[in-house]
Amino acid sequence: MSAPARPRPVLQLRYWLPVLSLAVFLTVWELVGRSVDPLLFAPPTRVAASFAELVRSGQLPAAVAVTINTLLIGYGLAILVGIPFGVLLAQSRTVGTVLRPYLYGIFSTPRVVIVPLIIVWFGVGYAGRLLLVFLWSMIAIATSTADGVRNARPDLVEVARSFGVSRLQIVRHVLLPGSVPFVVSGLRIGAERAVVGVVIGEMFLELTGLGGLIVTEAQSFETGAVLSAVVTIAVIGTVLIFGLDAVERRVSRWKERSG
Amino acid sequence: MTAVADAPVRPARTPPHRRRSARRAVPHLVFLAALLVAWQLAAQLLEPIVLPSVDAVAAAFVDLVLTGELPLALAQSILLLVLGLGIASAVGLGFGILIGRSQVAHWTLSPYFSALFVIPTVALVPIVLIWFGFGMTGRVIIVVLAAVVPILLSVASSLRDEPGELVEVARSFGVRGELALLRTVRLRAAVPVIMSGLRLAVGRAVVGMAVAETYLRLGGIGGLIRDYGSLFQTDYVFAAILPLSLLGVGLSALVGVLERHYQGWRS
Repeated sequence: MSAPARPRPVLQLRYWLPVLSLAVFLTVWELVGRSVDPLLFAPPTRVAASFAELVRSGQLPAAVAVTINTLLIGYGLAILVGIPFGVLLAQSRTVGTVLRPYLYGIFSTPRVVIVPLIIVWFGVGYAGRLLLVFLWSMIAIATSTADGVRNARPDLVEVARSFGVSRLQIVRHVLLPGSVPFVVSGLRIGAERAVVGVVIGEMFLELTGLGGLIVTEAQSFETGAVLSAVVTIAVIGTVLIFGLDAVERRVSRWKERSG
Repeated sequence: MTAVADAPVRPARTPPHRRRSARRAVPHLVFLAALLVAWQLAAQLLEPIVLPSVDAVAAAFVDLVLTGELPLALAQSILLLVLGLGIASAVGLGFGILIGRSQVAHWTLSPYFSALFVIPTVALVPIVLIWFGFGMTGRVIIVVLAAVVPILLSVASSLRDEPGELVEVARSFGVRGELALLRTVRLRAAVPVIMSGLRLAVGRAVVGMAVAETYLRLGGIGGLIRDYGSLFQTDYVFAAILPLSLLGVGLSALVGVLERHYQGWRS
């Protein structure tokens, strides 16, 4: 969240209030969880114990490895394909307008309901899970890149053209640098989509990784283990978004210096 | 206020002239025809389990409608969506106002909405259903969890910026007190941003609905698709996915219309 709108002399409230509130929340949860049903409403201490147990048994590290592998490869492919595809969508007016409704349709179709089709097309396995990460993330990156390229300054394109620069060079030196904020916001939406895609693939296509851990532990009502896996997924997503934030800051600094 | 800053960047559609719009439809129709022909040809080559022909999908759709399966499933799903979005709007508005107007509330509650923001709703489905039951309650809570964050964030961020002169004018007209100001000025000025938050929320709500129904395999359009999927009746799977996609696209288009309506009020 953003910083407070008005600078006010506060006793560092913004740092200790969240901590205090979290402490109260965890204490209440601990007490209620213990008194009601420690198995079903796993109190924080129990979650911590299951977490330690999952780490010790090697289950959690193995699941994290599977999840991160699919996430990074699927997302990486989405970036590699999505940015050029976005440029193509923006450069060719016909291709862009004709494909847009279909891309939008695919993008707004919940991925869970595509799972039966992925099973008959790719089987239950790595390829299908990769597709669930790749396709939706790629569409997010491509449409955002296309918006950026379309909003590139026409005067700069004109200048480049009058210097007899080739189309590829215009894309490389004028259009892409100009659309960086759009590309970065596409990367961000794409990252969010990728994380959800990994989890969907692991929960509904092939029970593996952190998503599979959630489903199998939920079936035996091990809520502590389920929450451990949920928290781990949240941490992975947060790290990815923070990484993108760092890239965004670096890119905007580079823009300021060169601009 | 990023949402408002982003809004004008979106490519503005110039109001199309009628004759030009007719000419513009040509590539769309050509592509659609080519797509259907290619689909039909590919269906001849592939097993019907892998790719059912266009007419098989159409027949399956008619069958699903005539037997009442699809209307019933859609009605269940829409009920779930309406309940979930309604509660998410109320909760998002309430907490959004609180967080937007009170810095103390913002700091106290920030760990929770940040957590909701980074945890994919899908991952919460099993645990929510264990805690709140496999009936309607659990499902509604999943849709609420999916939809509430964008509403809450848009309300909070738009209320944090002071619509300065508007508040001054309202004060000079004798509007007194934070609640009255909220009702007469602040919330109205925030409507365009809240609408764009709502548009995001609708998309997420549809995903939450589908995930909950698919996980439970009980009722709704998600359950229907999963049932036919596990029978490998791909023609029925296609016939049920299309209306779901249209539902999602249609709902966000509806909110988009409202959004533009209120944006027009502003400019």
